[in-house]
Formats: sequence, structure tokens, C-alpha cells
Amino acid sequence: MRGVLFAISGGFFLTLQSVANARISSSIGTWQAATLTQLTGFLVALVIMLLVRDRSYVHMRRVEPLYLSGGAFAAFILFSNMTAVHELGVTLTISLFLIAQLALALVIDWRGWFGMLRRDLNRTQLLGVIMMIVGILVLKG
Amino acid sequence: MALGMMLAVMGGMLVCVQNTFNAKVKEQVGAWATTTLVLALGFLASLLVGLISEGMGLFAVTGMETWYWFSGIIGVGVVMSVTQGVQQLGPSHAISIVMVSQILFALLWDTLGWFGLEAIPFTWKTALGIVLIVGGVLLFQLSGKKETVHQKEKQAV
Repeated sequence: MRGVLFAISGGFFLTLQSVANARISSSIGTWQAATLTQLTGFLVALVIMLLVRDRSYVHMRRVEPLYLSGGAFAAFILFSNMTAVHELGVTLTISLFLIAQLALALVIDWRGWFGMLRRDLNRTQLLGVIMMIVGILVLKG
Repeated sequence: MALGMMLAVMGGMLVCVQNTFNAKVKEQVGAWATTTLVLALGFLASLLVGLISEGMGLFAVTGMETWYWFSGIIGVGVVMSVTQGVQQLGPSHAISIVMVSQILFALLWDTLGWFGLEAIPFTWKTALGIVLIVGGVLLFQLSGKKETVHQKEKQAV
């Protein structure tokens, strides 16, 4: 039960983040908002890392350098998220983000990109993506 | 509208790539060290693109409100809740709930028009669309796991 509450608040915080970022960007500008929220987030995460004595960063050298760069995508992700929320509202933005995310995950698994174990195209998952796209068409229509 | 939709789709694809990369980092490094690294790079990338597109104008900020300084904490709330949820429920169940909760809170937000957003009226079309999207998320998330295990067994043989 506690796990369920954590997962629900995770979703709440993710949506809150999109809305807050969009709100901040409309008053101080997109790149200002992106830079500010990433900087404050970084500082808080750094303090927590030091408080919980997470010294595992020493093992970062074991990770292939390409994979360490994931965070840099945030610049474009934040820009697209803020712009989309202004243009489409939160529901449509988040739904489109999730569809694109799951559809690409399906392709990555299927083709075995980024060193993932290659597997057959999961038809049920494909059906899930199609259902989501139909949902978007209904929502928009 | 079309531009917004295109950006959202590209953004979502990048979220997927980022999650894939971050998962590789987490295989070797703890959750907080990973989060710190991810946010540090996010900050540097945003700063760089901001400087390229606006020059020193990036720092000429007006209209700042106090709570803007605390917005970054939301991201920390995300990591804490999702990590705990995944630990207690396993990834497929936890992430399904996270995604559904995300969509339902978004709907609530749009309908009520909180935070200075334009209120979008709730209609039967909205309801049907949301049911389909939520159904699709659940179908996707809850059908993936078994097959992975099955495939791994096959690989082992």
C-alpha cells in the first residue's frame, strides 16, 4: 500500500513539475526557467547525496561515457515540455510524451539498441500504444 | 498546435533515451549519485543553449518570484517517490501507477485551470480519450514483464 502511495505521488510530482516549469517559463523565459530549475534541483540532489553518504559516484568510470550523458537531453526535453504545455495544455502534452516514450521503448527492445537484450516485437504492447494513439485522436477530435 | 504536438513527441522520445541511459548508470551507481549527475548535466546543457540563443540576456531576469527558487525540489520529490515505489512494487507495477497518476493529475489540472493555466472543459470525449490512454498504458506496462523473463530463460538455454 505504501508503494502505491509513493507511485501516485511520483505521478503527481511529475505533472506538478511540467505545470510549474511552464508557469515559470512564461514569466522569466524558457532557458532561464530550464537553467534555474536544473541548477536548484542539482544542488538539492547533491546535498542529499552527501547526507545519505552515497559515495557510489566513484564507480561512474565503469559506465560507458555515452550513457553518462543522458542528463544533457534535459535541455531539449524541458524546452519541448514547456512549449507544448503552453500550446496544448497539460493532459495532451503528458499523454503525447508518454506515447512517444513507450513507443520508442518498444522499438529499442525490439531492435536491441543501446545494448538492450533483443526481443520479438511484443504485440500486446504494440496494441497498448495504438490504443493510446486512438485515445489522443478522441481527445483532440 | 501541430508544432506543440511535434515537440511533445520528440520530447517524449528523448525522455525514453534518457531513461535508457540513466538505467545503465544506475547499474553501477546509486540513485542519488545518478540524479545528481543527471541534473548537473541538465543544468550545463540548459545554460549552454541559453547562452547561445540569448547571450548575456540569459541573466537579465525580470519577474522572478520567490517560489521559482524552490521549483527544483519537485524533481527531487519525483526521484524519491518513484524510487520507493519501484522498490516496493517492482518496476512494471510502480511505473504503471506513476503514469496513470500523471495523466489523471494533468486532467484535474487542465479541468480546474490551476496555476494560471487556461481551463479546458471536461467533456465525454475527454473521458473516453483518457480511458483509452490509461487502458493503453496499463496494457503496455503489464504485458511487458512476463515476456522479458520468458526471453531471458530462452537465452539461458
